[in-house]
Amino acid sequence: MTLRQAQGAIVKIVQLYPQELGVTGDRGNVRALETRLERAGIPVEVVHVGIGDATPADADVVILGNGPLSAMRIVADDLRARRDELSAAIDAGVAVLAVGAGAELLSDGVALLDGEVLDGLGILPLRVERTRERRVGYVIADTVHGRLIGFEDHASEWALGEGAEVYGTVVAGKGSFPRGAGSGETIRVRNVFATNVQGPVLPLNPQLSDEILRIAAERRGHSYRAGAEHDALNALAAGARKAIEDRVGDEVFTYMKV
Amino acid sequence: MSDPRTPRARKAGLRYVFPVAAGKLARFATRLRGGGSAFPGYLTNRLSPSLLPTLAGQFDHGVVFVLGSNGKTTTTHMVSEVLRAHGLTVFTNPTGANLPQGVTSALLADATLTGRVRADVAVLEVDEGYASELADLLSPSVILSLNVQVDQLYRFYETERVADMMLEASTRATHHVVINRDDPYLSKVDASRMIAPVSFFGVAPEIVAESAHGLANATDTRSGEAGAIAHPAFAEVVAVAGREITVTVDGSAVPITLPAKGLHYAADAAAALTVAARVLGAGFDAASAGRGFANMAPAYGRGEVIPLRNDAQGEQVEFVMFKNAPSMQMNLDALDGAPERLLLAIDEGTPDVSWLYDVDLDGIDHVDVVTGEKAYQLALRLEHAGIPMGLVEPDMEKAVAYMRSLPDTTTGRQTWFVNYELMMIGRRILGHGDQEVARR
Ligand SMILES: [Zn+2]
Repeated sequence: MTLRQAQGAIVKIVQLYPQELGVTGDRGNVRALETRLERAGIPVEVVHVGIGDATPADADVVILGNGPLSAMRIVADDLRARRDELSAAIDAGVAVLAVGAGAELLSDGVALLDGEVLDGLGILPLRVERTRERRVGYVIADTVHGRLIGFEDHASEWALGEGAEVYGTVVAGKGSFPRGAGSGETIRVRNVFATNVQGPVLPLNPQLSDEILRIAAERRGHSYRAGAEHDALNALAAGARKAIEDRVGDEVFTYMKV
Repeated sequence: MSDPRTPRARKAGLRYVFPVAAGKLARFATRLRGGGSAFPGYLTNRLSPSLLPTLAGQFDHGVVFVLGSNGKTTTTHMVSEVLRAHGLTVFTNPTGANLPQGVTSALLADATLTGRVRADVAVLEVDEGYASELADLLSPSVILSLNVQVDQLYRFYETERVADMMLEASTRATHHVVINRDDPYLSKVDASRMIAPVSFFGVAPEIVAESAHGLANATDTRSGEAGAIAHPAFAEVVAVAGREITVTVDGSAVPITLPAKGLHYAADAAAALTVAARVLGAGFDAASAGRGFANMAPAYGRGEVIPLRNDAQGEQVEFVMFKNAPSMQMNLDALDGAPERLLLAIDEGTPDVSWLYDVDLDGIDHVDVVTGEKAYQLALRLEHAGIPMGLVEPDMEKAVAYMRSLPDTTTGRQTWFVNYELMMIGRRILGHGDQEVARR
């Protein structure tokens, strides 16, 4: 592993609710960005924000992870109180990665199986419907940045509204919303990426990490580009991605129904 | 009163000769093919749905259910050995055979043609998803709930659902409900919903506080109280020194030796002692309990070492098994320093490995070989932690050959961290594939 000497302005990554929204290795998404910046010689700081903590004003990347419905309920009010700050940050071009429950909380609302609707922040033009059938297994989608590859494990169907840019077209696995005759996975709104891809998604997808880091680093006057110091990470990610491409479509053990 | 679909419990008898014989024949056939299949149990349950419930009334000391995200098999084994050491004959289900067809397959192995099982007590590990259904069939006297951990989200979706499954099943226990007082969800058991009194087990708070990651049970994100609520423990782990621990059971100290190191095993032991003491009542005896634990270690595939090159005097392999973030973390926390030579392996038996990033890997300083179908996902995780790796080799056979090619360790022992499926494969490669190994 090689490391460039860190210099210049610090890129700040904020992870919201790591305690509550962090059941699917969401720490790994933060770690992927942090590691790649470190190896590029760009100074980086990670800030964890829990319920009741102040929202840092100068975030360059915001990470919202995945969690159970009970965790969504527990953080919902606190997150709503941050709506204006979050909205302003997104308008200013801050990069956001929201996975699973994190993405659902930013939506217009989540229709639950019992008919209740959990209000989202209305930041993403997206409505979520929880489904009886669960979508579990490897998922692969074609994107402008190459193949998005990971593991899906959710019981939700998204309906996209005006302004939601489809990021991925599913080529294997189930995905999150209808797209043409097939399905789509992950949307982009400005620099917000909302996804149901786990794995976690960023370690497995250096191309998406690099897009997020390019945006974040530029905000601090850095020109980020993956280089030789990322070769080890990229080679192992390539190995993991190839193994998934070879196994995609395999049966996953899911006999429990809601 | 009872669900009309629930087969009515009858007594063992002649009416079961045909289904039991058919099941035994199917069992014989599947074993010839070299499988420990659940098919015989499935077949028999189809032929004779009322057979399984006959187990309910067959045991003087009743039926015990062991539930939990982690540690079911280990604890079932502990309870069984402690009861055996008290002179009881125990009927139990083997490793992971914890669905209805698995329990019936176990019955087919032990029962006479009329469906009679000669044992004093049944100790069964039961899958959370089937706990209530099986409780309706088998009328357990004691139901033990070990822990609720973030596990198998692809199956259960939400961790608290698993807690509810265990607590719902516990309302069916006729004599005792046994609960982990250190588990955030389980500690909030509503005792007024239970028919039977609740006994708690736990680990002394100062011991939990000393452990790097506590007990790794799931945080309660539902009630507004994230941690466990305090209860006095009927059995409590009060001292831990490696595998030697002391558990106070109803106020008396019981010294025991664990099958392997780790605070999770200590908690399992307190659970097992609670169950045994409740089943035996005044007949419970500390010395016998200690003997039960002593009997279990060698025959069990835990703390057991296997020769790396078929040489009993040469380099040995110690297997450490994990199935999810909590069990991997607890096993890492139990290490005596970073292993000198380490193999790490994970395969498709663990569908989603996102949780690897939730595990704190401070306990290891290098890995010699990363293997299994998910070797690259595992290696990618290690690279993000800056942990050096000798080799990434998805093929377990080649990985083992590489481990055999390395010079011997100074301790004479290398460590293999593996998921269940690769433990079985690893044992087979080393020439020890014949033995049944408990799934933790
Ligand atoms: Zn080594």
